[in-house]
Amino acid sequence: SSSSRRTGTEAQDMCEAALYLRADIQHCLFCLVLPSAGITAQCIKCPNVKTQDMTQRCMKTRYADVCPFISRCLDHMKQDGLSVDHLFSQCVFRQDERDMVLKAIRAIQPDYQPCLNLTSGERYSSLVQDFYTQRADHSYPKLDFTQDELRERFKRQLSVEQACTVTIDSVEAAKPVTKNMAKMRKLLTEKRIQWQKILLQALCEHKMTLANTNTKDYRVNLYPYLCLLEDREYVDIMIQSVAHMPPSGESLKILAGNLGNRVFTRYSVRQKYQNQMVEKLDKIYSIYTDLLAKETKEYDVLPREQWCNLEMEHSSGPRLQGGETSWPYIVTLELGTCMVDMMVKNLKINSDALNSAHDRKLIPILYHMYTFRSTRQIGFIKPHPILTQMQQEAMETELIFDSYVMPMLCPPVPWTSVKFGAYLLTPTKLMRTLVGAIQHEVLLEKCQSLHAVLDSLNQLGNCAWRINKPLLDIIISIFNDRGNDKLDIPPPLSEAPKIDHFNPQDPTYTASDKAQMKREMISAKKKCSEMHSLRMDALYKLSIANHMRDEIFWFPHNMDFRGRTYPCPPYFNHLGSDMTRAILIFAEGKPLGPKGLDWLKIHLVNLTGLKKRSSLQERLEYANTIMEDILDSADNPLNGKKWWMNADEPWQALACCMEIANAVRSPESTQFISKFPVHQDGSCNGLQHYAALGRDVIGATSVNLMPCDLPQDVYSGVAQQVEEFRARDAETGLKIAQVLEGFISRKVVKQTVMTVVYGVTRYGGRLQIEKRLKEIDEFPKDSVWDASHYLVRLVFSSLKEMFTGTREIQDWLTESARLISKSGYSVEWVTPLGLPIIQPYHRTRIQVRWRGIGCQSMMMRPDTVKQKNAFPPNFIHSLDSTHMMLTALHCYSAGLTFVSVHDCFWTHALTVDSMNKVPNHSKITVQHLFFYSHFLHRYSCLPPPQLFPSYLIKCH
Amino acid sequence: MSIQICRVVELVMRSACCHSIRGRSCLHKALLAPVCPSGLCVPVLHRRAYSLDSLSSGPGRPTLGSSSQQPRTERTSPSAALTHRNLSAVALQGQRRSLGQYDFLDLGEVEDNVRRAKACKKSRHFIVDPRLAKVVTQHLDPEDVKTVIFECNPGPGVLTRTLLNAGTQRVVALEGDLSFLHDLQELEGRLDGQLEVVHCDYFNLDPIGNGHLKAPAMFTDKLFTDLGISESSWTDDIPVKVVGILPQIKERSMLLKMVYALFERLSVYRYGRVELNLFISEKEYLKLMSRPGDMLNYRAFSVLWQMACEIELLHKEPWESFVKSKQSAPSPKGRSPHLPNDHLCLVRLRPRADLFSGGLTTSNALTLVIMIKQCLAKRKVKLIDMLNLWSPDTGSKLLSEMGMQEDILTGHVYPEEYLQLFQLMDKSKEFTQSWLYEEILENTLREGWG
Repeated sequence: SSSSRRTGTEAQDMCEAALYLRADIQHCLFCLVLPSAGITAQCIKCPNVKTQDMTQRCMKTRYADVCPFISRCLDHMKQDGLSVDHLFSQCVFRQDERDMVLKAIRAIQPDYQPCLNLTSGERYSSLVQDFYTQRADHSYPKLDFTQDELRERFKRQLSVEQACTVTIDSVEAAKPVTKNMAKMRKLLTEKRIQWQKILLQALCEHKMTLANTNTKDYRVNLYPYLCLLEDREYVDIMIQSVAHMPPSGESLKILAGNLGNRVFTRYSVRQKYQNQMVEKLDKIYSIYTDLLAKETKEYDVLPREQWCNLEMEHSSGPRLQGGETSWPYIVTLELGTCMVDMMVKNLKINSDALNSAHDRKLIPILYHMYTFRSTRQIGFIKPHPILTQMQQEAMETELIFDSYVMPMLCPPVPWTSVKFGAYLLTPTKLMRTLVGAIQHEVLLEKCQSLHAVLDSLNQLGNCAWRINKPLLDIIISIFNDRGNDKLDIPPPLSEAPKIDHFNPQDPTYTASDKAQMKREMISAKKKCSEMHSLRMDALYKLSIANHMRDEIFWFPHNMDFRGRTYPCPPYFNHLGSDMTRAILIFAEGKPLGPKGLDWLKIHLVNLTGLKKRSSLQERLEYANTIMEDILDSADNPLNGKKWWMNADEPWQALACCMEIANAVRSPESTQFISKFPVHQDGSCNGLQHYAALGRDVIGATSVNLMPCDLPQDVYSGVAQQVEEFRARDAETGLKIAQVLEGFISRKVVKQTVMTVVYGVTRYGGRLQIEKRLKEIDEFPKDSVWDASHYLVRLVFSSLKEMFTGTREIQDWLTESARLISKSGYSVEWVTPLGLPIIQPYHRTRIQVRWRGIGCQSMMMRPDTVKQKNAFPPNFIHSLDSTHMMLTALHCYSAGLTFVSVHDCFWTHALTVDSMNKVPNHSKITVQHLFFYSHFLHRYSCLPPPQLFPSYLIKCH
Repeated sequence: MSIQICRVVELVMRSACCHSIRGRSCLHKALLAPVCPSGLCVPVLHRRAYSLDSLSSGPGRPTLGSSSQQPRTERTSPSAALTHRNLSAVALQGQRRSLGQYDFLDLGEVEDNVRRAKACKKSRHFIVDPRLAKVVTQHLDPEDVKTVIFECNPGPGVLTRTLLNAGTQRVVALEGDLSFLHDLQELEGRLDGQLEVVHCDYFNLDPIGNGHLKAPAMFTDKLFTDLGISESSWTDDIPVKVVGILPQIKERSMLLKMVYALFERLSVYRYGRVELNLFISEKEYLKLMSRPGDMLNYRAFSVLWQMACEIELLHKEPWESFVKSKQSAPSPKGRSPHLPNDHLCLVRLRPRADLFSGGLTTSNALTLVIMIKQCLAKRKVKLIDMLNLWSPDTGSKLLSEMGMQEDILTGHVYPEEYLQLFQLMDKSKEFTQSWLYEEILENTLREGWG
């Protein structure tokens, strides 16, 4: 556009045009849509025909007069090898563009009917071929809601997402308001109003300057991006980020990224309203509920298929899918940096706000400085201590979150393509990865057969949840009291060690006194900032849970670049700590059935971490012997014998105790309606995969891959082996081995064993063991370093002895990755379910420069060290996730409730047995198929080791 | 006369063994043991005599022994010293050595030393070339009796022997590698206190992190206490000179660690103005010495060193003159496109005696360090902006007090000006409220070694 004054909407169009339209299709659109829609523009391929002329002519004359122009456009398209159908299947239409284009084409070809073939070429991986083609005995689960209820919920969720932010009460609101708190709150509110005004003005001024800047500069001119929203909205985003600023500051890159993303999210939500997409979404969702609601007929299609069908049936109007393309990372960053800059420059406070003894001066509340990590300097934004103090003393009771932080109030939109699914309006990525990486997007878009992956994500997202209220109340009461470190409830900062300020000039201190005091201050300060972040994290989780206490809600899912699935809401979800897991129960209840109560009891024993090597029967018997403790825990959780507090997972154990108590006290326990999720834990899946890959029979037995009377526990096995080595060394007089006598337990080695397969190094392993040893009060603290150093060596050698093949395979995978990376490629592979994976480790880093981002080199060299070290664990993770997805699909077809925490599967007590039939079945398939699929590209460089050729492992 | 006979025997034996492939140490044992203690005593006696002469106020060193027959003039005049070196070089090359001369420690066969250096398991450079060892010795002023010389990682000990030959009174060899330790200790045993050998890696003194400390890592106080060196005042003479080659892999972080220790007077600097004589790569040296206006290389690291020390380039030596252990990374030559890097530079870093005279103390020095790091993270920002950031509205006042332009960039300020500026800031009341002072705690040194 050559107009001299740029308006907001025009700027918006510039953005749109630049970002959304690819050259070919842009051409078609300009030629076909714009004249009929009456928009001024110029076709890039026919520069001498101004569409403005066409439009004027359109208005004056009959529509047919533009026919020559349209047919010329169609000719152009034909020359470029574009069919008209292509236009309808690939183009993203907004508002009524689609109808306009259709009208234009029909002016030339009156009978034209777009041939819609959205789901062409459905090819399924042979693993799931049967799942999709033979559905006779499938019975997909229904949700326990009527269609009207679901529609109602949709409306509520829509309004939440439209607002983009949610304001909720913090659980600390229950605390009494002191005089000082009231004063601080008032002060903060006043300041905030003032800051809003100042920012608003600064934004206007900044925009003015940008609008008058010559855009010949090579850098992105941010002007259009600052016109996308109301000025007020930008200001709100900035003020919100001040409230969330941790006292130790935030790196500029992260802060800027967050701000930029918020603008993008708001903008795309707005766009959906403007493009009339919301109406269409409403329409389709409303019909879609038919599939989920309890009172309607049974369907034999999956949610994704249903949604696709509905979209095809209702093809007029805007297209729902692919309407948005995320902004390039660099643009997001630059926009964010610009906003941070505005905040740093303009947000100020009087220096005497808290202490009238200070001279009155306006001081900035945020400042930009550098921190130094090894050889890098990182730009940091820190809040001024005065601001931090005000915020901490005010303890404001309102928390403002982005809407996607909250769980959804209605079932998520099923993923139907890479670009569409999850939240209703908030844009979500199907695959999360390191910031700035884009290769996986290209791969995903090219990929034809993601159906199984999408379906499993949809299945996980469709599980409805609710809050375990009695437990939540107990936790909040402890949280608002003084916290409890042992139960993982972070204490408030008032419990933090005091930082004593000392006067370094004081002559009574000697040099070593000062050094000592300084060390103490440093560690106290570090402890404080750790405590603050833990406390805030728990505060967010509990506040969200409390806000949802009477709701039923859903967690939409996406995955990381290896295919591991995660719920999208970041703070509160079922993947969290013991505490958050305990708060969540299924929304739907099912009777316990004949074996349900037994499963609850076994589950409880599992949560305690005891009896790991006992058979299920023995665990059940053990549970029955401690029924008294269980009932006591349930009835008097805080004042009784507190049996539950000593469990490995105390909060979940307590929740389980309560469920058992309720069940045994109900008149007929088999009829007791339980909403409680029972977990089935994979026993160290990483080692299972390796043992299977290496045909390592003994190893396989110890991870329960081979039939065996008793469940094996690899951690205890390793602990035993380590103990043997230790005893031997102790005899030869090794001092540290003698010190360690009686301290080697399953718990000490567990984390290291678990993570060894995921590539933990000796260094990391030592830290893990050091942490465990420090937790043992009786263990002499001064031997911790030596002991951990010694133990990690023993753990590694024990594992080597027990799992002969593992190391060899790991080495082979590492070496392959090294060669691939050295030849200039990133390591890529395709999981048995057809998910393409590429490791996003590259050499170039994007650096944010203060006040503007420098040119970024586009050379993306793979980072060999990371590529090779990360490959074995990533590969195993991807197999693991494939296994989980298969299980999810089969559970769905059996009508079970199923969710997963990676290798731990959750279902109702009633359905544990039926779920258990599924994993083993699919596990064989995973391992089996693995060798026939071309799991790795570019693999000609290395012959695989002897272990690899055909093998089959039997599994009970 | 018996002494001279002993020497003849020794010399003959040594030259006879020169072609032997076996290690020197066992030869020595085998050969020297029967030669009797008197043979060993003599050179020691000579040197004692020397020390008696010039050591009027020695730092508590034993000054035993009788008078010398050696004329003093010959020992102290530079030309004579040179003669000694030439002679020892002659002896090294296997030629006949004049018997009337003072007894030198044999530097060993060059090939033998090279082989041993190359066999070292760690990535290290070694001085094996006797010529180079002599050049280094010359710069260390070996006649200065008050100063102890710490030699870092002597390896085969060529420089150690050269230093001793030049009459150094007290050499402490800090060797981190066990494989060299034995020979050095054996040499220590043959001398009478001029050489002390400690299993210690100078570049791993005062390691961070907790845990059990194992040699060669060591705490400075243990090292100094064991050696009987006590703390001295900052303005006193230089108590210790350190000579060595800075390990290539952690050159920059070592230099930073050392300069932080200097400002806080921790580690070795607790004991006074320890002077470093280190070989560092040419590239690093040029960065160290870069001046204001060189916006690419003028960094916090250069400012801090230039502020704290008189820096002098003593000698430049091509990389090829050093022997690399097999494990060494390929020579970093030519890696930097901007700066030449063909040499290792022997640089003397002598702490300024007046560093702490103008208001800088060990307790506020860290704030100065952080200020410099913040200022020079980017060199093209205005100094006044930084000052106002720390304490609003104080920038122009401070700058006018300093007599600086309002728009001066941080990359244009000289190190000594930064020091003055800090001293001004530290006196003013406004700055004590600044967050800069709080920052010390979070920007602990551990994170700032880059």
